Amino acid sequence: MKPPGIGTLAILGVAVVTAAVIGVMSVIILRAHQGAFIAQLTRSADQLSETIASTTHHDMLENRRDAVHREIVTIGRQQGIERVRLFNGTGTVMFSSDEAEIGRAVDKRAEACYACHAAGRPLERLSIHARSRIYRAADGHRVLGMIRPIANQPGCWSADCHAHSRGESVLGVLDVNLSLAEADRQIARDQRNLILLAVLAIAASSTLLWWLSRQLILRPVAMLIASTRRVAQGDLSTAVPATARHELGDLARAFNHMTSRLNEAQRQLAQADKLASVGRLAAGVAHEINNPLTGVLTYASFLEKRAEHDSETRADLAVIVRETKRCREIVRGLLDFARQTPPRRLPTDLNEVVRRARTIVTNQLALAHVGVELELAADLQPVPADANQIQQVVVNLLLNAADAMAGGDTPAGGSIRVRTSAVAVPPRGHATIRSATCPKGCDLLDSHVRLAGVPAIRVIRRVMDRESVVHLDPVYGRANHRASEACDEGVVAAYLCPACRTRLEVPERRCGECGAPVFGVQVARFGPAEWCTRKGCPGSRWEVLDAIGPQPYAQIKVEDTGRGITVEEMDRLFEPFFTTKGARGTGLGLAVTWGIVEGHDGSIAVESELGRGTRFTLRIPCQVLEPSGTEARAGRSVPMPDARGESVSGRTAPIAPRTPPHPAEGSQDGSRGAS
Amino acid sequence: MKDRCDVLVVDDEPVVSDAIRLVLGHAGFEVTVVFDAETALTHPALDGCRLVICDLMLPGLSGFDALKSMRRRRPELPIVMATGYATPEQEELVLAAGATAFLPKPFDDSELLTLVRHVLSRAPAAGEERKP
Repeated sequence: MKPPGIGTLAILGVAVVTAAVIGVMSVIILRAHQGAFIAQLTRSADQLSETIASTTHHDMLENRRDAVHREIVTIGRQQGIERVRLFNGTGTVMFSSDEAEIGRAVDKRAEACYACHAAGRPLERLSIHARSRIYRAADGHRVLGMIRPIANQPGCWSADCHAHSRGESVLGVLDVNLSLAEADRQIARDQRNLILLAVLAIAASSTLLWWLSRQLILRPVAMLIASTRRVAQGDLSTAVPATARHELGDLARAFNHMTSRLNEAQRQLAQADKLASVGRLAAGVAHEINNPLTGVLTYASFLEKRAEHDSETRADLAVIVRETKRCREIVRGLLDFARQTPPRRLPTDLNEVVRRARTIVTNQLALAHVGVELELAADLQPVPADANQIQQVVVNLLLNAADAMAGGDTPAGGSIRVRTSAVAVPPRGHATIRSATCPKGCDLLDSHVRLAGVPAIRVIRRVMDRESVVHLDPVYGRANHRASEACDEGVVAAYLCPACRTRLEVPERRCGECGAPVFGVQVARFGPAEWCTRKGCPGSRWEVLDAIGPQPYAQIKVEDTGRGITVEEMDRLFEPFFTTKGARGTGLGLAVTWGIVEGHDGSIAVESELGRGTRFTLRIPCQVLEPSGTEARAGRSVPMPDARGESVSGRTAPIAPRTPPHPAEGSQDGSRGAS
Repeated sequence: MKDRCDVLVVDDEPVVSDAIRLVLGHAGFEVTVVFDAETALTHPALDGCRLVICDLMLPGLSGFDALKSMRRRRPELPIVMATGYATPEQEELVLAAGATAFLPKPFDDSELLTLVRHVLSRAPAAGEERKP
């Protein structure tokens, strides 16, 4: 059986204590009440006996015994009066409302006389308490008896009847008996009411305690337990609502802090692990391949110099030397990728790079009956790039395209189209937030959750007391945010850092669209990026980027008519060791591509349609992007163009990677496959 | 001149050692090739050669250990360490351990010749190379 919970124990404990306290209190109150009631009755009995004594006084003096008898009988018949009687000094009943006992002698030791006669000495003056007694009548009900000694007075011994001598001190005793039956019933009623009240009080306090403990302790604890279980099962994105100001709120906050740290640590560990795997593989590949490459390169270069008079052979050998050197660069690039070394960026003509890439793959593609059509822009300016790395990217994209066209249901053969162009890309809709921190410096980028391939920005949204995790779309101006819980459109929410729970709202700033407060994150080198706190409002602002304005990029598009890429594949496209080519693929091609593009501050976007084809769009900036400074820092308000986010199919926004490996960006919309 | 040796090559990959022998041989150097560090350390050519080209990753005793032993035996001898896994960290390590130069694989004939000539020109016992 499950042991009782903390709430049950608390309720039981408080119920027992409450019951004891209320019980003792009830007994004390009942006793006091009873005592006061009896005291009042005693006084009434005393007054009654006084009244009878004074009423009968003159009749006694004048020895009108019949009148005394009548009076006593009349009074004795009144309601609540049990009996009235008068003894003489020897204990004989002289008068009584119960006529049967007239003339009987009463034992002086009997209860009615005991107070005075117990010590064997008659007393003249007794206190009211000494004169009263309570006893049970034959039928069981209680009776209050009150005696009143009748003292000898001058009128008594000087009366004509001469019934009393002067020497007697007490002439008789008046005994009034009141029934306590009604009083006892009243007391029992009070007792019942009091017990009922006590039970009600115990039940009410227990219920209140149960409710309080449930609201303040049990529910938060249950949520903590559930969250702990989720964490134990590996879900480290769990957050407990931590709105309470008391210790359990502190515990929840500490718990959230712990899981967020754990999450971060695990993420870094996974990242490090992946990088270490790539590094190990790269090292192995480098060692194994570089030895045969040494042979090829040395022999080819040696022979090239010796074939002075055979220009054809010499040209062939030059190709071997050049391509072997390219292999060398690829292996070095792989090592560099694993070690995150930046590219050697020199002014490079991307058209030339594309031509060289085509030359390299022509033979291989010819085997698959795939041709390459080039459409190279004449006005393409040189861009700072590592020519070998970009060539590697293009070769890789061409080979992937050829593979996609050769396999699957589509008939082999066709043509890959490669187009270059100079484009000006506005920040809105394209620039990607590559680093995001809260005001206290916590990293908010979540490389585990990607929106259309790009690592999202993780924040906590709070509406009333409900908290949910929101992953913000890192592409500026796009609003494909994803939330763990739905929220009504138009609601203005609070936003917090998931790690340190700092509020992210920017004071004094308002949304340019709807006027609601805005919240923001810090982007390294590029100032704050801000969003509207109103759910559904597309307002966003990234002033430094707006100030920089549209940037020139060299763009390379590689389009095939292959089998296309599924949504599942799209999400993992850039992960190291992920391949759709089975044993023929290493799963490193696009991971290396990603690293290279990242190293160039460029972007790569994928659009694909199953069965129709895929288009990769590669963009390399024509200059290294830096914040323009003055204008942006002056805090100039930049009007916000309409940037309504569409549902979750990001179509053409670029990926601007920073944290390797992974991301893919793409869509599966049916309308626009590459053709 | 059979016992004469200008360059001692230590590499377990015949394709590499043969290529080096070909290039340096044509440039007029007398080349001796061994395939592991143990053989190199006991080979008479070690005492007479003017240059050693040694691979870092060798079966048995590593190129790194061989470098230290050779350096102890001949403090002035130019030793070029070659490797297929060339990183700046490796280079730093190897140079700190006493290597004269670091040669990342793969290399072509002129890169090899340039390095060899450069190293020999700076060596105390630099001699003349024979023209074929």
